[in-house]
Amino acid sequence: MSDVRASRIVEVEEATAAVKDGMTIAIGGFINSGHPMAIVRQLIKDGRKNLTVVGAASSGLETDLLIAAGVASKVISPYVGAEGFAGIGPAFRKAGQDGLIDIFELDEAHFYAGLRASAQRVPYNPWKAGVGTDLPKVNPWLKEYRDPINDELLIAVPAINIDVAFLHAAVSDIYGNVQHNGTRYGDISMHNAALKTYVSVEKVVSPERIKADPLRTSIPGATGIIRAPYGSHPYSADGYYVPDAEHINTYLAAATSWLKTGDRAEVDAYIAEFITGPADHADYLERIGIRALLSLNEF
Amino acid sequence: MNETASPKEIMAAVIAHDLKDGQWVEVGANLPVPRAGALLGHLHHGPNMTVMIAMTKAYLRDTPVIEEFEFITDVGAMQWSEAYYQHDQLLNNQRHRANGVFFCGGIQIDRFGNSNMIGIGSDYKNLKFRGPGPIGTTNATAQNGTWHLVTNSHDPRVLVDRVDYISALGYGRGEKNLREDLGLPNGGPSSIITPLCVFDFDEETRSARLKSVHSGVSVDKVVESTGFSIIVPENVPITDGPTAEELVLLRTRIDAKGALRG
Repeated sequence: MSDVRASRIVEVEEATAAVKDGMTIAIGGFINSGHPMAIVRQLIKDGRKNLTVVGAASSGLETDLLIAAGVASKVISPYVGAEGFAGIGPAFRKAGQDGLIDIFELDEAHFYAGLRASAQRVPYNPWKAGVGTDLPKVNPWLKEYRDPINDELLIAVPAINIDVAFLHAAVSDIYGNVQHNGTRYGDISMHNAALKTYVSVEKVVSPERIKADPLRTSIPGATGIIRAPYGSHPYSADGYYVPDAEHINTYLAAATSWLKTGDRAEVDAYIAEFITGPADHADYLERIGIRALLSLNEF
Repeated sequence: MNETASPKEIMAAVIAHDLKDGQWVEVGANLPVPRAGALLGHLHHGPNMTVMIAMTKAYLRDTPVIEEFEFITDVGAMQWSEAYYQHDQLLNNQRHRANGVFFCGGIQIDRFGNSNMIGIGSDYKNLKFRGPGPIGTTNATAQNGTWHLVTNSHDPRVLVDRVDYISALGYGRGEKNLREDLGLPNGGPSSIITPLCVFDFDEETRSARLKSVHSGVSVDKVVESTGFSIIVPENVPITDGPTAEELVLLRTRIDAKGALRG
């Protein structure tokens, strides 16, 4: 056995190889920000099927894309959409209306209760809100029950156990000590509920830089780190770039065509052009173009 | 100046007038009316309000012109941040929500103040229209001390007799003491705020009652635009819109680009 501390830097294909058909995966970020898109595209290239996708508490079009590409058979998320770009994700709408996928209907508070139950290795976490609503009717996994302490009516939210969580963050050292910029959204809760966590980062930095501010370390020891500058494109990465509105609208037009006409030609063409076509992340970025990428300034 | 206010400016004023100094209020992205209402309350009479804007805690009374954000994740808001609201931690902490105020939308809202964000159609597995999902409306309407329903579409398809699915519970079907019996921490929605009028809820039946109509709107117009039977009192006052001072705040500092006037 080597006595040298191992680097946790991996290629994106090595990270997605941890996923087998039928598993539950989580995708970090929040609506139009912070999604590990280089990894999402690789999962589609790998041809994964029947995945349960735990989207962010507010998922964006990364989850919509996994539905459109036929990777997701079940989605656990309180919202799938893109705010001002599209109030509801078009593939999510299509799949919800045609019964193409199972939707685990829940509020964002239930979402974190389920992740917390997984992190605590208990079958469920209780929650108050939701009693008296139709959520337990449309989602029989949310169960109303009387608690044994005060006989109060509560909702039992089952543990959301994640096989592999995929996140995108600002920086990491080669040992998997990840530091986010910004508010971190729900990424840490996803990591805590997952058996394995792979994080794509804008930049791999020195261990000294991480140790200069250890309180900022958000994921202390990810399973693997993927080097992915512009790895959240077309969504934003805090401290680096804003959403690429033009590209997001390109996807939306393609997915909306499927929703409105039932014809998959445009969405399949999008997937061929930007996901299965490019040889790797660098090739994808070349297709987007250096000028487009360099125009995505925060300030 | 009141007569020149747009319907959305009137809605923002209704929201602001109900806010009290010291309350905690969330300003979502892409929700221009609740955003403007919350900021108007903060600038006008809320120096001790806790304003959450784009996932940060902010104090904005010294900010001459408050920029609008298209996305809740916009890092531009961080310039004002006294604290970040890490989303999972925000949801773990319900203890402090009793002092909070929330504004709930809906693809359908019914006469008893229930909201539906799930979808339209009797077959859940084959919906005619798939909605965005509950987001945080189930929880926020249970935990915040005060909440209102807000819609930009005063339309019989939105304001219905009975929602197809309840994702945020108002007063159910008007059962007596429903929320108390369920053990919910707040007493239910205060009002439905629309571009035409404000509804409150009858204390006995818990059904929506016309509280006021916006300037220039007739009671008949409200009745024909609403998909449920409204309780109409004998005298329906005109909604208190923005004062001259409030309209200046809205147009010069909160909504300089005119999202509420478009």
